[in-house]
Amino acid sequence: MLAAAGPAIAATVQVAPGVYVLPGVHEDASPSNGNAIANVGFVVGGASVAVVDPGGSMAHGRRLRRAVEAVTPLPIRHLVLTHAHPDHVMGAAAFAELRPEVVGHARLPEALAQRREGYLRMIEREMGAEAAAGSDALPPTRLVEDRLDLDLGAGRALSIAAHGPAHTDADLSLFDPATATLWLSDLLFVERIPSLDGSLAGWLRELAALRERPAARAVPGHGPPAVPWPAGAAALTGYLEALRDGTRAAIASGVGIAEAPARVASAEASRWRLAEGYHGRNVSAAYRELEWE
Amino acid sequence: MVRAVPRRPLLAGILGAPLLAPAIGRAQGIEPAEAPRRAERWHDLKLSIFDRGTEPAGDALTLVAPARALDAAAVPISLSLSAEAAPRVRAIHLVIDENPAPLAAVFRAGPAGDLRALSARVRVDAYTLMHAVAETDDGRLLETAQFVKAAGGCSAPVGTDLRAARERMGRMRMALPEGPPAPDRAAPVQVAVSHPNTSGLQIDQLSRLSIPAEFVQTLRVLYRGAEVLRAECGISIAENPTFGFALAGEPGGELKVEAEDNRERRFAAAWVVGNGG
Repeated sequence: MLAAAGPAIAATVQVAPGVYVLPGVHEDASPSNGNAIANVGFVVGGASVAVVDPGGSMAHGRRLRRAVEAVTPLPIRHLVLTHAHPDHVMGAAAFAELRPEVVGHARLPEALAQRREGYLRMIEREMGAEAAAGSDALPPTRLVEDRLDLDLGAGRALSIAAHGPAHTDADLSLFDPATATLWLSDLLFVERIPSLDGSLAGWLRELAALRERPAARAVPGHGPPAVPWPAGAAALTGYLEALRDGTRAAIASGVGIAEAPARVASAEASRWRLAEGYHGRNVSAAYRELEWE
Repeated sequence: MVRAVPRRPLLAGILGAPLLAPAIGRAQGIEPAEAPRRAERWHDLKLSIFDRGTEPAGDALTLVAPARALDAAAVPISLSLSAEAAPRVRAIHLVIDENPAPLAAVFRAGPAGDLRALSARVRVDAYTLMHAVAETDDGRLLETAQFVKAAGGCSAPVGTDLRAARERMGRMRMALPEGPPAPDRAAPVQVAVSHPNTSGLQIDQLSRLSIPAEFVQTLRVLYRGAEVLRAECGISIAENPTFGFALAGEPGGELKVEAEDNRERRFAAAWVVGNGG
Protein backbone atom coordinates (compact mmCIF):
# COMPACT_ATOMS: atom_id res chain seq x y z
CA MET A 1 0.00 0.00 0.00
CA LEU A 2 2.68 2.46 0.99
CA ALA A 3 4.87 1.46 -1.95
CA ALA A 4 2.04 2.16 -4.36
CA ALA A 5 1.58 5.58 -2.79
CA GLY A 6 5.17 6.59 -3.47
CA PRO A 7 8.20 7.49 -1.43
CA ALA A 8 6.84 10.84 -0.24
CA ILE A 9 3.99 9.12 1.53
CA ALA A 10 6.20 6.36 2.86
CA ALA A 11 8.02 9.15 4.71
CA THR A 12 4.97 9.76 6.91
CA VAL A 13 5.56 8.53 10.45
CA GLN A 14 2.78 7.32 12.74
CA VAL A 15 4.04 8.55 16.10
CA ALA A 16 1.00 7.27 18.02
CA PRO A 17 -2.22 5.54 16.93
CA GLY A 18 -3.87 7.89 14.43
CA VAL A 19 -1.24 10.61 14.82
CA TYR A 20 0.90 11.07 11.69
CA VAL A 21 3.87 13.34 11.09
CA LEU A 22 5.48 14.18 7.75
CA PRO A 23 8.97 15.24 8.88
CA GLY A 24 10.65 18.32 7.41
CA VAL A 25 14.31 18.66 6.49
CA HIS A 26 16.79 20.88 8.33
CA GLU A 27 17.31 23.32 5.48
CA ASP A 28 16.13 26.75 4.44
CA ALA A 29 13.55 26.89 1.67
CA SER A 30 15.02 26.02 -1.73
CA PRO A 31 13.82 24.95 -5.19
CA SER A 32 14.77 21.33 -4.42
CA ASN A 33 13.08 20.97 -1.02
CA GLY A 34 9.82 22.71 -1.92
CA ASN A 35 9.89 24.47 1.48
CA ALA A 36 9.08 21.13 3.14
CA ILE A 37 11.24 22.12 6.09
CA ALA A 38 8.78 21.88 8.99
CA ASN A 39 7.16 18.87 10.61
CA VAL A 40 3.53 18.83 9.52
CA GLY A 41 0.90 16.10 9.78
CA PHE A 42 -2.58 15.03 10.75
CA VAL A 43 -4.72 13.30 13.32
CA VAL A 44 -7.35 10.76 12.24
CA GLY A 45 -10.51 10.72 14.34
CA GLY A 46 -13.64 8.61 14.18
CA ALA A 47 -15.44 10.81 11.66
CA SER A 48 -12.94 13.29 10.30
CA VAL A 49 -9.30 14.23 9.94
CA ALA A 50 -7.55 17.33 11.30
CA VAL A 51 -4.49 18.47 9.37
CA VAL A 52 -1.99 20.18 11.65
CA ASP A 53 -0.11 22.71 9.49
CA PRO A 54 -0.65 22.21 5.77
CA GLY A 55 3.02 22.70 4.83
CA GLY A 56 5.31 25.25 3.27
CA SER A 57 4.14 25.22 -0.35
CA MET A 58 1.43 23.98 -2.68
CA ALA A 59 3.61 20.94 -3.44
CA HIS A 60 4.18 20.22 0.25
CA GLY A 61 0.46 20.59 0.96
CA ARG A 62 -0.43 18.22 -1.87
CA ARG A 63 2.06 15.68 -0.57
CA LEU A 64 0.47 15.88 2.85
CA ARG A 65 -3.02 15.54 1.35
CA ARG A 66 -1.96 12.40 -0.53
CA ALA A 67 -0.51 11.06 2.72
CA VAL A 68 -3.88 11.53 4.43
CA GLU A 69 -5.71 9.85 1.55
CA ALA A 70 -3.31 6.91 1.69
CA VAL A 71 -4.18 6.32 5.34
CA THR A 72 -7.90 7.00 5.60
CA PRO A 73 -10.98 7.70 3.49
CA LEU A 74 -12.32 10.06 6.17
CA PRO A 75 -12.75 13.69 5.10
CA ILE A 76 -10.31 16.43 6.06
CA ARG A 77 -12.68 18.76 7.91
CA HIS A 78 -10.18 20.81 9.91
CA LEU A 79 -6.99 22.63 9.09
CA VAL A 80 -5.12 23.84 12.16
CA LEU A 81 -2.59 26.63 11.55
CA THR A 82 -0.25 26.55 14.54
CA HIS A 83 1.19 30.00 13.67
CA ALA A 84 1.74 32.31 10.69
CA HIS A 85 5.20 31.25 9.48
CA PRO A 86 5.34 30.34 5.80
CA ASP A 87 6.90 26.88 6.23
CA HIS A 88 3.75 25.91 8.16
CA VAL A 89 0.90 27.67 6.36
CA MET A 90 1.66 28.19 2.67
CA GLY A 91 0.53 24.67 1.72
CA ALA A 92 -3.04 25.50 2.83
CA ALA A 93 -4.03 26.27 -0.76
CA ALA A 94 -3.73 22.53 -1.51
CA PHE A 95 -6.72 21.95 0.80
CA ALA A 96 -8.87 24.90 -0.30
CA GLU A 97 -11.34 22.91 -2.42
CA LEU A 98 -12.16 20.67 0.56
CA ARG A 99 -13.45 23.80 2.34
CA PRO A 100 -12.08 22.78 5.73
CA GLU A 101 -12.66 24.73 8.88
CA VAL A 102 -9.42 26.72 9.34
CA VAL A 103 -8.48 26.98 13.00
CA GLY A 104 -6.04 29.62 14.22
CA HIS A 105 -5.00 31.73 17.17
CA ALA A 106 -7.13 34.84 17.77
CA ARG A 107 -4.16 36.90 16.64
CA LEU A 108 -3.50 34.86 13.51
CA PRO A 109 -5.67 36.92 11.14
CA GLU A 110 -3.72 40.06 12.00
CA ALA A 111 -0.38 38.27 11.69
CA LEU A 112 -1.34 36.90 8.27
CA ALA A 113 -2.69 40.26 7.13
CA GLN A 114 0.60 41.90 7.99
CA ARG A 115 2.94 39.22 6.73
CA ARG A 116 1.30 37.04 4.10
CA GLU A 117 2.39 39.10 1.10
CA GLY A 118 5.95 39.39 2.34
CA TYR A 119 6.08 35.66 2.98
CA LEU A 120 4.75 34.91 -0.51
CA ARG A 121 7.48 37.08 -2.01
CA MET A 122 10.02 35.38 0.21
CA ILE A 123 9.15 31.82 -0.76
CA GLU A 124 9.05 32.83 -4.41
CA ARG A 125 12.55 34.26 -4.05
CA GLU A 126 13.86 31.24 -2.18
CA MET A 127 12.07 28.43 -4.03
CA GLY A 128 11.78 30.00 -7.46
CA ALA A 129 8.55 31.24 -9.02
CA GLU A 130 7.67 27.91 -10.60
CA ALA A 131 8.01 25.84 -7.42
CA ALA A 132 6.22 28.47 -5.34
CA ALA A 133 3.28 28.93 -7.72
CA GLY A 134 -0.14 28.42 -6.13
CA SER A 135 1.18 28.39 -2.56
CA ASP A 136 -0.86 30.40 -0.08
CA ALA A 137 -2.36 30.42 3.38
CA LEU A 138 -6.13 30.25 3.97
CA PRO A 139 -7.87 32.78 6.22
CA PRO A 140 -8.83 31.33 9.60
CA THR A 141 -12.54 30.62 10.00
CA ARG A 142 -12.48 29.61 13.67
CA LEU A 143 -10.38 31.53 16.18
CA VAL A 144 -9.01 30.28 19.47
CA GLU A 145 -8.83 32.88 22.24
CA ASP A 146 -7.91 30.44 24.97
CA ARG A 147 -9.04 26.82 24.56
CA LEU A 148 -10.95 24.87 21.96
CA ASP A 149 -11.99 21.22 21.80
CA LEU A 150 -11.94 20.00 18.23
CA ASP A 151 -14.24 17.00 17.86
CA LEU A 152 -12.99 14.47 15.32
CA GLY A 153 -15.81 12.00 16.06
CA ALA A 154 -16.16 8.71 17.91
CA GLY A 155 -14.81 10.14 21.12
CA ARG A 156 -11.60 11.63 19.73
CA ALA A 157 -11.27 15.31 20.45
CA LEU A 158 -8.16 17.46 20.20
CA SER A 159 -7.67 20.00 22.92
CA ILE A 160 -6.25 23.16 21.35
CA ALA A 161 -4.59 25.89 23.42
CA ALA A 162 -3.78 29.48 22.41
CA HIS A 163 -0.53 30.73 23.93
CA GLY A 164 0.74 34.17 24.82
CA PRO A 165 3.59 35.59 22.71
CA ALA A 166 6.31 32.93 22.61
CA HIS A 167 7.81 31.60 19.35
CA THR A 168 5.48 34.06 17.58
CA ASP A 169 2.57 36.10 18.90
CA ALA A 170 -0.01 33.62 17.56
CA ASP A 171 1.07 30.13 18.66
CA LEU A 172 -1.32 27.20 19.09
CA SER A 173 -0.56 23.82 20.62
CA LEU A 174 -2.69 20.66 20.50
CA PHE A 175 -3.12 17.78 22.89
CA ASP A 176 -4.53 14.42 21.88
CA PRO A 177 -5.82 12.80 25.09
CA ALA A 178 -6.35 9.45 23.34
CA THR A 179 -2.59 8.99 22.92
CA ALA A 180 -1.22 11.61 25.37
CA THR A 181 0.50 13.31 22.45
CA LEU A 182 1.35 17.00 22.78
CA TRP A 183 1.66 18.58 19.33
CA LEU A 184 3.75 21.67 19.97
CA SER A 185 4.78 22.66 16.46
CA ASP A 186 7.28 25.55 16.70
CA LEU A 187 6.84 26.02 20.43
CA LEU A 188 9.35 23.15 20.38
CA PHE A 189 12.51 23.04 18.27
CA VAL A 190 14.84 20.03 18.35
CA GLU A 191 18.17 19.90 16.45
CA ARG A 192 17.38 22.93 14.27
CA ILE A 193 18.10 26.27 15.94
CA PRO A 194 14.91 27.96 17.16
CA SER A 195 13.88 31.27 15.66
CA LEU A 196 12.57 33.90 18.04
CA ASP A 197 9.74 35.97 16.57
CA GLY A 198 7.49 36.56 19.57
CA SER A 199 8.79 36.97 23.11
CA LEU A 200 11.80 35.33 24.74
CA ALA A 201 10.42 35.77 28.26
CA GLY A 202 7.03 34.57 27.04
CA TRP A 203 8.46 31.50 25.34
CA LEU A 204 10.31 30.46 28.49
CA ARG A 205 7.11 30.98 30.48
CA GLU A 206 5.01 28.90 28.09
CA LEU A 207 7.65 26.16 27.99
CA ALA A 208 7.79 26.00 31.77
CA ALA A 209 4.01 25.54 31.90
CA LEU A 210 4.04 22.97 29.09
CA ARG A 211 6.77 20.95 30.79
CA GLU A 212 4.45 20.46 33.74
CA ARG A 213 1.96 18.85 31.44
CA PRO A 214 2.06 15.04 31.49
CA ALA A 215 2.43 13.65 27.99
CA ALA A 216 3.94 10.55 26.46
CA ARG A 217 5.54 12.44 23.61
CA ALA A 218 5.69 15.81 21.92
CA VAL A 219 5.74 16.66 18.23
CA PRO A 220 8.23 19.45 17.51
CA GLY A 221 7.85 21.85 14.60
CA HIS A 222 11.44 21.07 13.62
CA GLY A 223 13.35 17.95 14.63
CA PRO A 224 12.37 14.28 14.90
CA PRO A 225 8.68 13.41 14.33
CA ALA A 226 8.28 12.95 18.08
CA VAL A 227 10.38 13.25 21.22
CA PRO A 228 9.81 12.11 24.82
CA TRP A 229 8.19 14.70 27.05
CA PRO A 230 9.30 16.75 28.93
CA ALA A 231 12.86 15.53 28.25
CA GLY A 232 12.57 16.77 24.67
CA ALA A 233 12.33 20.36 25.88
CA ALA A 234 15.65 20.39 27.72
CA ALA A 235 17.89 21.58 24.87
CA LEU A 236 15.48 24.33 23.78
CA THR A 237 15.07 25.56 27.34
CA GLY A 238 18.84 25.60 27.77
CA TYR A 239 19.37 27.62 24.61
CA LEU A 240 16.64 30.15 25.41
CA GLU A 241 17.96 30.59 28.94
CA ALA A 242 21.49 31.14 27.65
CA LEU A 243 20.13 33.63 25.13
CA ARG A 244 18.25 35.47 27.89
CA ASP A 245 21.10 35.48 30.40
CA GLY A 246 23.77 36.36 27.84
CA THR A 247 21.71 39.16 26.34
CA ARG A 248 20.87 40.59 29.76
CA ALA A 249 24.58 40.57 30.63
CA ALA A 250 25.45 42.29 27.35
CA ILE A 251 22.89 45.03 27.95
CA ALA A 252 24.05 45.52 31.53
CA SER A 253 27.70 45.85 30.50
CA GLY A 254 27.02 48.33 27.70
CA VAL A 255 27.59 45.97 24.75
CA GLY A 256 25.55 47.50 21.94
CA ILE A 257 22.95 45.79 19.79
CA ALA A 258 25.37 45.85 16.85
CA GLU A 259 28.05 43.90 18.74
CA ALA A 260 25.90 41.58 20.87
CA PRO A 261 25.03 39.00 18.15
CA ALA A 262 28.67 37.91 17.83
CA ARG A 263 29.19 37.76 21.58
CA VAL A 264 26.08 36.27 23.20
CA ALA A 265 25.56 32.52 23.76
CA SER A 266 27.84 31.53 20.88
CA ALA A 267 28.77 28.19 22.47
CA GLU A 268 25.13 27.21 23.01
CA ALA A 269 24.24 28.26 19.47
CA SER A 270 27.00 26.16 17.92
CA ARG A 271 25.24 22.98 19.07
CA TRP A 272 22.30 23.64 16.75
CA ARG A 273 21.86 23.10 13.02
CA LEU A 274 21.59 26.28 10.88
CA ALA A 275 22.80 28.43 13.80
CA GLU A 276 24.68 30.76 11.43
CA GLY A 277 21.43 31.83 9.80
CA TYR A 278 19.36 32.49 12.91
CA HIS A 279 21.34 32.94 16.10
CA GLY A 280 22.38 36.53 15.38
CA ARG A 281 18.77 37.46 14.67
CA ASN A 282 17.68 35.77 17.90
CA VAL A 283 20.17 37.84 19.88
CA SER A 284 19.04 41.01 18.14
CA ALA A 285 15.38 40.21 18.92
CA ALA A 286 16.19 39.25 22.50
CA TYR A 287 18.14 42.48 22.95
CA ARG A 288 15.25 44.63 21.77
CA GLU A 289 12.89 42.84 24.12
CA LEU A 290 15.08 42.64 27.20
CA GLU A 291 16.40 46.20 27.14
CA TRP A 292 12.88 47.25 28.18
CA GLU A 293 12.58 44.81 31.10
CA MET B 1 41.04 74.39 9.99
CA VAL B 2 39.46 71.08 9.20
CA ARG B 3 42.56 69.51 7.79
CA ALA B 4 40.97 66.14 7.14
CA VAL B 5 38.61 67.72 4.67
CA PRO B 6 40.20 68.57 1.36
CA ARG B 7 39.55 72.15 0.29
CA ARG B 8 38.54 71.38 -3.22
CA PRO B 9 35.84 72.84 -5.38
CA LEU B 10 32.44 71.27 -5.06
CA LEU B 11 32.45 68.04 -6.97
CA ALA B 12 28.84 68.15 -7.95
CA GLY B 13 27.60 71.59 -8.86
CA ILE B 14 24.11 72.53 -7.86
CA LEU B 15 22.86 71.70 -11.28
CA GLY B 16 25.86 69.59 -12.19
CA ALA B 17 26.30 66.00 -13.17
CA PRO B 18 26.11 63.32 -10.48
CA LEU B 19 29.79 62.78 -9.79
CA LEU B 20 29.29 60.16 -7.15
CA ALA B 21 32.10 57.75 -7.76
CA PRO B 22 34.08 58.59 -4.61
CA ALA B 23 31.30 57.87 -2.16
CA ILE B 24 29.97 54.83 -3.96
CA GLY B 25 33.46 53.44 -4.43
CA ARG B 26 33.67 53.03 -0.67
CA ALA B 27 30.30 51.37 -0.38
CA GLN B 28 31.03 47.69 -0.99
CA GLY B 29 28.57 45.13 -2.22
CA ILE B 30 26.51 46.99 -4.80
CA GLU B 31 25.38 44.86 -7.71
CA PRO B 32 27.27 46.29 -10.73
CA ALA B 33 24.14 46.39 -12.88
CA GLU B 34 22.37 48.49 -10.26
CA ALA B 35 25.15 50.98 -9.65
CA PRO B 36 24.07 53.57 -12.26
CA ARG B 37 20.46 53.57 -11.04
CA ARG B 38 21.56 53.92 -7.43
CA ALA B 39 23.88 56.80 -8.36
CA GLU B 40 21.05 58.54 -10.14
CA ARG B 41 18.74 58.00 -7.19
CA TRP B 42 21.20 59.62 -4.82
CA HIS B 43 21.74 62.47 -7.24
CA ASP B 44 17.99 63.14 -7.29
CA LEU B 45 17.72 62.82 -3.52
CA LYS B 46 20.50 65.31 -2.98
CA LEU B 47 18.77 67.84 -5.19
CA SER B 48 15.59 67.45 -3.18
CA ILE B 49 17.25 67.62 0.25
CA PHE B 50 20.13 70.09 -0.13
CA ASP B 51 20.47 73.45 -1.84
CA ARG B 52 24.19 72.93 -2.42
CA GLY B 53 26.43 70.21 -3.79
CA THR B 54 28.35 67.78 -1.60
CA GLU B 55 31.95 66.67 -1.48
CA PRO B 56 33.47 63.41 -0.24
CA ALA B 57 33.90 63.37 3.51
CA GLY B 58 37.19 61.52 3.51
CA ASP B 59 38.18 60.74 7.09
CA ALA B 60 36.09 63.54 8.53
CA LEU B 61 32.87 61.51 8.71
CA THR B 62 32.43 57.73 9.07
CA LEU B 63 29.18 55.82 8.69
CA VAL B 64 29.13 52.25 9.99
CA ALA B 65 26.26 49.94 9.10
CA PRO B 66 26.11 46.15 8.76
CA ALA B 67 26.73 44.91 5.21
CA ARG B 68 23.86 42.48 5.79
CA ALA B 69 21.38 43.37 8.51
CA LEU B 70 20.07 40.84 11.02
CA ASP B 71 16.80 42.66 11.43
CA ALA B 72 15.66 45.02 8.67
CA ALA B 73 13.28 46.72 11.11
CA ALA B 74 16.10 47.74 13.48
CA VAL B 75 19.42 48.13 11.70
CA PRO B 76 22.04 49.59 14.03
CA ILE B 77 24.10 52.38 12.49
CA SER B 78 26.76 54.65 13.89
CA LEU B 79 28.21 57.97 12.75
CA SER B 80 31.48 59.43 13.87
CA LEU B 81 33.39 62.60 13.17
CA SER B 82 37.15 62.99 13.26
CA ALA B 83 38.55 65.07 16.13
CA GLU B 84 39.25 67.84 13.65
CA ALA B 85 35.79 67.80 12.13
CA ALA B 86 33.74 67.40 15.33
CA PRO B 87 33.83 71.04 16.47
CA ARG B 88 32.97 72.27 12.97
CA VAL B 89 30.00 70.05 12.17
CA ARG B 90 26.65 71.32 13.38
CA ALA B 91 24.35 68.88 11.58
CA ILE B 92 24.41 65.40 10.07
CA HIS B 93 21.75 64.15 7.67
CA LEU B 94 21.13 60.41 7.47
CA VAL B 95 19.55 59.26 4.22
CA ILE B 96 18.39 55.73 3.38
CA ASP B 97 18.12 56.03 -0.37
CA GLU B 98 15.59 53.30 -1.14
CA ASN B 99 13.25 53.86 1.81
CA PRO B 100 9.79 55.32 1.14
CA ALA B 101 10.80 58.44 3.07
CA PRO B 102 14.57 58.48 2.52
CA LEU B 103 15.55 61.24 4.95
CA ALA B 104 15.73 59.16 8.12
CA ALA B 105 17.01 61.80 10.53
CA VAL B 106 18.81 65.08 10.90
CA PHE B 107 21.02 65.32 13.96
CA ARG B 108 21.82 68.84 15.12
CA ALA B 109 24.42 69.70 17.73
CA GLY B 110 23.20 71.97 20.50
CA PRO B 111 25.34 74.67 22.13
CA ALA B 112 26.41 72.15 24.78
CA GLY B 113 27.30 69.23 22.53
CA ASP B 114 28.79 67.94 19.33
CA LEU B 115 28.08 65.09 16.94
CA ARG B 116 31.37 63.21 17.26
CA ALA B 117 29.76 59.84 18.02
CA LEU B 118 26.13 59.12 17.18
CA SER B 119 24.18 55.90 16.89
CA ALA B 120 20.64 55.03 15.90
CA ARG B 121 18.51 52.12 14.73
CA VAL B 122 16.75 52.43 11.42
CA ARG B 123 14.32 50.58 9.19
CA VAL B 124 15.61 49.46 5.80
CA ASP B 125 13.00 48.65 3.19
CA ALA B 126 15.19 47.30 0.38
CA TYR B 127 18.86 46.77 -0.45
CA THR B 128 20.07 50.34 -0.30
CA LEU B 129 22.82 52.86 -0.24
CA MET B 130 22.78 54.71 3.04
CA HIS B 131 24.27 58.19 3.03
CA ALA B 132 25.44 60.50 5.76
CA VAL B 133 26.03 64.16 4.99
CA ALA B 134 27.69 66.42 7.53
CA GLU B 135 27.15 70.16 7.31
CA THR B 136 30.06 72.27 8.52
CA ASP B 137 29.80 75.69 10.12
CA ASP B 138 31.05 77.25 6.89
CA GLY B 139 28.32 75.59 4.88
CA ARG B 140 30.13 72.69 3.26
CA LEU B 141 28.40 69.33 2.87
CA LEU B 142 30.58 66.27 3.47
CA GLU B 143 29.20 63.02 2.16
CA THR B 144 29.89 59.34 2.85
CA ALA B 145 28.00 56.13 2.07
CA GLN B 146 27.53 52.47 2.94
CA PHE B 147 25.65 49.76 1.11
CA VAL B 148 23.28 47.73 3.29
CA LYS B 149 21.53 44.49 2.43
CA ALA B 150 18.22 44.28 4.23
CA ALA B 151 14.63 44.27 3.07
CA GLY B 152 11.13 44.76 4.37
CA GLY B 153 11.98 46.90 7.39
CA CYS B 154 9.47 49.66 6.73
CA SER B 155 6.55 47.36 6.14
CA ALA B 156 7.61 44.89 8.84
CA PRO B 157 4.96 44.39 11.47
CA VAL B 158 5.55 45.88 14.87
CA GLY B 159 8.40 43.83 16.25
CA THR B 160 6.86 42.88 19.50
CA ASP B 161 3.47 42.89 21.08
CA LEU B 162 1.72 46.04 19.85
CA ARG B 163 -0.66 46.15 22.80
CA ALA B 164 2.23 45.99 25.26
CA ALA B 165 4.15 48.54 23.19
CA ARG B 166 1.25 50.99 23.38
CA GLU B 167 0.95 50.58 27.13
CA ARG B 168 4.64 51.36 27.44
CA MET B 169 4.58 54.36 25.11
CA GLY B 170 6.59 57.28 26.41
CA ARG B 171 8.64 55.36 28.91
CA MET B 172 12.31 56.31 28.55
CA ARG B 173 15.64 54.71 29.26
CA MET B 174 19.08 56.22 29.73
CA ALA B 175 22.34 54.31 30.00
CA LEU B 176 25.93 55.37 30.64
CA PRO B 177 27.87 52.24 29.72
CA GLU B 178 31.20 53.85 30.59
CA GLY B 179 30.05 55.96 33.51
CA PRO B 180 29.46 59.70 33.84
CA PRO B 181 31.29 62.30 31.76
CA ALA B 182 34.12 64.53 32.85
CA PRO B 183 35.11 67.95 31.53
CA ASP B 184 38.01 66.39 29.65
CA ARG B 185 36.31 63.10 28.75
CA ALA B 186 33.17 62.64 26.69
CA ALA B 187 31.10 59.70 27.91
CA PRO B 188 28.91 57.61 25.61
CA VAL B 189 25.23 57.98 26.47
CA GLN B 190 22.29 56.00 25.13
CA VAL B 191 18.72 57.25 25.37
CA ALA B 192 15.59 55.49 24.20
CA VAL B 193 11.88 56.27 24.06
CA SER B 194 9.38 53.46 24.12
CA HIS B 195 7.18 54.13 21.11
CA PRO B 196 5.71 51.82 18.44
CA ASN B 197 7.00 54.28 15.81
CA THR B 198 4.74 52.80 13.18
CA SER B 199 5.88 53.75 9.73
CA GLY B 200 2.60 53.90 7.85
CA LEU B 201 2.35 52.10 4.55
CA GLN B 202 0.04 54.35 2.58
CA ILE B 203 1.52 56.24 -0.34
CA ASP B 204 0.40 59.77 -1.07
CA GLN B 205 -0.42 59.58 -4.77
CA LEU B 206 0.67 63.15 -5.39
CA SER B 207 3.93 63.32 -3.50
CA ARG B 208 4.76 59.61 -3.82
CA LEU B 209 5.83 59.76 -0.20
CA SER B 210 4.51 57.58 2.55
CA ILE B 211 1.84 59.05 4.73
CA PRO B 212 3.34 58.83 8.20
CA ALA B 213 1.55 56.93 10.90
CA GLU B 214 2.65 57.43 14.51
CA PHE B 215 6.30 58.18 15.12
CA VAL B 216 8.62 60.30 17.19
CA GLN B 217 9.38 63.43 15.21
CA THR B 218 11.76 65.30 17.44
CA LEU B 219 13.94 64.30 20.30
CA ARG B 220 15.98 66.81 22.31
CA VAL B 221 18.66 66.08 24.86
CA LEU B 222 19.58 68.76 27.38
CA TYR B 223 22.33 68.71 29.98
CA ARG B 224 22.32 71.22 32.80
CA GLY B 225 19.57 73.01 30.90
CA ALA B 226 21.54 73.48 27.67
CA GLU B 227 20.75 71.62 24.48
CA VAL B 228 23.23 68.89 23.61
CA LEU B 229 21.54 67.19 20.70
CA ARG B 230 18.42 67.49 18.65
CA ALA B 231 17.22 64.71 16.35
CA GLU B 232 14.56 65.41 13.74
CA CYS B 233 13.22 62.04 12.72
CA GLY B 234 11.24 60.47 9.92
CA ILE B 235 9.48 57.13 9.69
CA SER B 236 12.71 55.27 9.00
CA ILE B 237 13.65 55.31 12.66
CA ALA B 238 13.00 51.91 14.26
CA GLU B 239 10.42 51.10 16.92
CA ASN B 240 11.46 52.42 20.36
CA PRO B 241 13.72 55.17 18.98
CA THR B 242 17.17 54.66 20.48
CA PHE B 243 20.05 57.09 20.06
CA GLY B 244 23.61 57.22 21.24
CA PHE B 245 25.77 60.32 21.55
CA ALA B 246 28.81 61.57 23.42
CA LEU B 247 28.39 63.86 26.42
CA ALA B 248 31.20 65.98 27.85
CA GLY B 249 31.01 68.17 30.91
CA GLU B 250 31.00 68.16 34.70
CA PRO B 251 29.25 65.10 36.14
CA GLY B 252 26.32 65.47 38.51
CA GLY B 253 24.09 67.51 36.23
CA GLU B 254 20.59 66.74 35.07
CA LEU B 255 20.22 65.03 31.70
CA LYS B 256 16.80 65.63 30.22
CA VAL B 257 15.21 64.04 27.18
CA GLU B 258 12.15 65.55 25.52
CA ALA B 259 10.39 63.85 22.65
CA GLU B 260 7.35 64.69 20.60
CA ASP B 261 5.56 62.49 18.11
CA ASN B 262 3.57 63.44 15.03
CA ARG B 263 0.33 63.27 17.02
CA GLU B 264 1.73 65.99 19.28
CA ARG B 265 2.14 63.63 22.20
CA ARG B 266 4.98 64.86 24.36
CA PHE B 267 7.23 62.70 26.49
CA ALA B 268 10.00 63.71 28.87
CA ALA B 269 12.29 62.16 31.43
CA ALA B 270 15.29 63.36 33.41
CA TRP B 271 18.14 61.71 35.24
CA VAL B 272 20.97 63.01 37.38
CA VAL B 273 24.16 61.86 35.73
CA GLY B 274 25.90 60.55 38.81
CA ASN B 275 29.25 61.73 40.06
CA GLY B 276 29.87 58.53 41.89
CA GLY B 277 26.49 58.64 43.60
